[in-house]
Amino acid sequence: MMLPKKTSLVIATFGALMLLLELTKVARPYAPATVLDFRPRANPNMTVAEPPRPRPAAPGLKPVRVEPNLIDQHGALTGFYQALWRTESKETGAVTRILHYGDSPVTADSITADVRSLMQERFGDAGHGFVLIAKPWAWYGHRGVDVSGKGWFIRPASQSRVPDGLHGLGGVSFQGSVGASSRLVLKEDHSRIEVQYLRQPDGGLLVVRAEGQVIGEIETAGPEKGSAFRVISLPPGARHIELTVERGFVRLFGVSFERDEPGVIYNSLGLNGGQVQVVVRYFDKAQWAAELQHEAPDLVIVNYGTNESLYADYIERYYPGELRDVIRRIQSAVPRASVLVMSPMDRGQRDSSGQIVTPAALPRLVEVQRQVASETSCAFFNTFQAMGGEGTMGRWYESQSGLVSADFMHPLPAGARRVGVLLYQALESGFRQFKAKQQQGLARQTP
Amino acid sequence: MLLSTPAYFTFLAAIFFAYWLVSRFRFGGLAVIVFANYFFYARWDLMYLALIPAASTCDFFTGRALEREQRPLMRRALVTLGIILNVGLIATAKYMPARPWSWTLPLGLSFYAFQSLTYTIDIYRRDAKATSNYLAYLASASFFPTTLAGPITRIPTLLPQWSKREMVSAQDGGRALFLIGLGLLKKFMIADYLADHLVNRVFDLPKLYSGSEVLLGAYGYALQLYYDFSGYTDIAIGSALLVGIKLPINFNRPYAAQNIADFWRRWHISFSNWLRDYLYFSLPGLRSRWKIFTYANLVLTMAIGGLWHGASWTFLVWGLWHGTGLAVQRWWQVIRGNPTPPARPIPRLWRGLATFHFVLVGWIFFRAANLGTARDIFAQIGSRTIAFGNVTRGFVLVLIVAAYAHYLPKRWYDRSLELYCESPFYAQAAAMALVVIAIQYIAATGAVPFIYNRF
Repeated sequence: MMLPKKTSLVIATFGALMLLLELTKVARPYAPATVLDFRPRANPNMTVAEPPRPRPAAPGLKPVRVEPNLIDQHGALTGFYQALWRTESKETGAVTRILHYGDSPVTADSITADVRSLMQERFGDAGHGFVLIAKPWAWYGHRGVDVSGKGWFIRPASQSRVPDGLHGLGGVSFQGSVGASSRLVLKEDHSRIEVQYLRQPDGGLLVVRAEGQVIGEIETAGPEKGSAFRVISLPPGARHIELTVERGFVRLFGVSFERDEPGVIYNSLGLNGGQVQVVVRYFDKAQWAAELQHEAPDLVIVNYGTNESLYADYIERYYPGELRDVIRRIQSAVPRASVLVMSPMDRGQRDSSGQIVTPAALPRLVEVQRQVASETSCAFFNTFQAMGGEGTMGRWYESQSGLVSADFMHPLPAGARRVGVLLYQALESGFRQFKAKQQQGLARQTP
Repeated sequence: MLLSTPAYFTFLAAIFFAYWLVSRFRFGGLAVIVFANYFFYARWDLMYLALIPAASTCDFFTGRALEREQRPLMRRALVTLGIILNVGLIATAKYMPARPWSWTLPLGLSFYAFQSLTYTIDIYRRDAKATSNYLAYLASASFFPTTLAGPITRIPTLLPQWSKREMVSAQDGGRALFLIGLGLLKKFMIADYLADHLVNRVFDLPKLYSGSEVLLGAYGYALQLYYDFSGYTDIAIGSALLVGIKLPINFNRPYAAQNIADFWRRWHISFSNWLRDYLYFSLPGLRSRWKIFTYANLVLTMAIGGLWHGASWTFLVWGLWHGTGLAVQRWWQVIRGNPTPPARPIPRLWRGLATFHFVLVGWIFFRAANLGTARDIFAQIGSRTIAFGNVTRGFVLVLIVAAYAHYLPKRWYDRSLELYCESPFYAQAAAMALVVIAIQYIAATGAVPFIYNRF
């Protein structure tokens, strides 16, 4: 027998050391049998077929496909569908308002921008809706609005939160003194801007300009702290809007752009690192309720879960309670609004063999969301399943077609569009089912 | 099976012991290596168990026929057959359209095909003799450490090494393990760290980052690519050395190059030598009195080299960029002579920085998903916006360490290697275990494929 003595000893000793470290749980567990795993490996050249972009369907009765990933056993979406029907019928002032709360993908208006454009194409465009006045994160954005700001002390609820918990509708507080300003550039005309701010005893003066002309002055001082709103009409053709603090301290939460026509307003309300516990712990209950009541949404989408999806113990012990709490807050503030729990997308992480796999706790989290949605009479959209279930992000990433970024979590524009299309298709399909049932009921009642 | 996974090292250890236990019988040693080669391929897809032996057998018999054949026309036909077979293999693996009813290959077979081409072309040029040992040919053509990403090793230089009977020395064994450990550190602690902490995000969506962040991301990518690829190469060279095979070096501090031709003598050396010997020298007009052919052939060679990485405009632009750089440098040398590079540090520094930034521009095209993204990256860098909100201290630290380590004097590296090799076996084993534990606790990214695996 001939073996290179020293090298053999090094390898054998190294093997023994690793075994020892594994037994003492210092090293990660490793199964030597994986050497014999002959399953075919992922193909980096594989492409993932893109679903066809839906065409806006004409109003009226059409065959309706049941959407398996949208579960609405309690008719939770009825109010939303009714509002949408009025909007579709172009009733005067029939604006369907949707609030989409979510985590990091939503901060960049990923997914939400695609759903917004599809819904507005189909039902009418009533405006951009809510926009933050500066970028709390480099990637914050709202499609169709350029946002820039300077001099603001920006405090998102998910990060450097304000102690009083007053974070407004979008979960971010902007405090500025004289010189702080924001510039918002629109690509289309809007009828009005609504400034959402904090009225407070030592509040200062905010001036709003459109195309360089002053269109409104907002005195933010008031006897007590509380949410306040000021609507200012925009002159025709006004697309460059500036907000400037001209006296004292001003605290803003955002602005909203609307049009005087029936349509959909789809508000993108993302928080980087957003989770249900951020809402539960750091959103002032009363102020958030007041903001929701002012907005009077027809649908509130609760789309958290990605950031929680790695913590199996938390998911079992605390997550259901916190999700229930968030839903109850919404239902008690705006009882007529429909609530849709939207599951997170798939996410990936590499295992020890280099394969991109779904974290073990993620499917469980989705199941918990489904159960809580059912218990609280909410609708549930299973994004995770709709996009392909376990391993989707791995397949997307390895398809190399620019669907998901290298963290296997944040979708790139093409991937976000796919998810947006899936949500839109589910809601549109549910709406058509609702209409079909209503029209059949009417037909039976007619002698 | 990636060269950075526990499964690979378990496999390697098993092959090491099996090989040396039977190596006194040449047939036994070769049989172990051929088994290892095909086992390695089969771990990616069982389809290779049919494809690779079939292709290797064709090349083996083509080589034999070329050796016997004296008629020029027939020799040309035979070498053409070999080229078509191997280029067809690359095209099949790389460009075959994915359809639900068709199978596709998870591995690019470029490196296998490049190595096989060296065999038939060298015999055709009468630079090498055909082997009559079928098993030795199979062991060389699909030698497992070089399968995924080289170094591209000429089969005629591998074949004689199987005949050696000496045992691997303690010095070479130590060197092999040192290279494997170093390769793992390069891959996990530097390349993957840089990729995860800024580079990938910047190249995915450059418009979301300030100009300064995008520039740092580009610098990060230059270092990521070097440490990823040279880390792979170190593991491959170390693995081969464990069974007594010496592979050629592939990198020699490339970012210390003084001009673009110097860069290509230091970066992916086996590939640039292959392009020079088997493509550039084969192009027409090289001996023409019209110098334009020399310049055009340089550009063409690099453009083809770019397209080999993938059928995309970004790779073509990358190839054209380097080809043009090489042609301009050649033209400059023709009109100004070929002066000795300055020895003084400041001019050397400037030349080095200029060369590095020329290469960096190329890397931006190389990494960007498409030309639009590359344009966005340049636009962001040109915007001169300065903010570092997305740059962590860890990223800056690793970037500095990576840059510094790249320029360390070679004698430091040699001394470290010497120290490791002289250490007792238990110290060597403990050092290897420390590397693994450090990677598990600090890198914590899992096994990410090497960048060049997909080529």
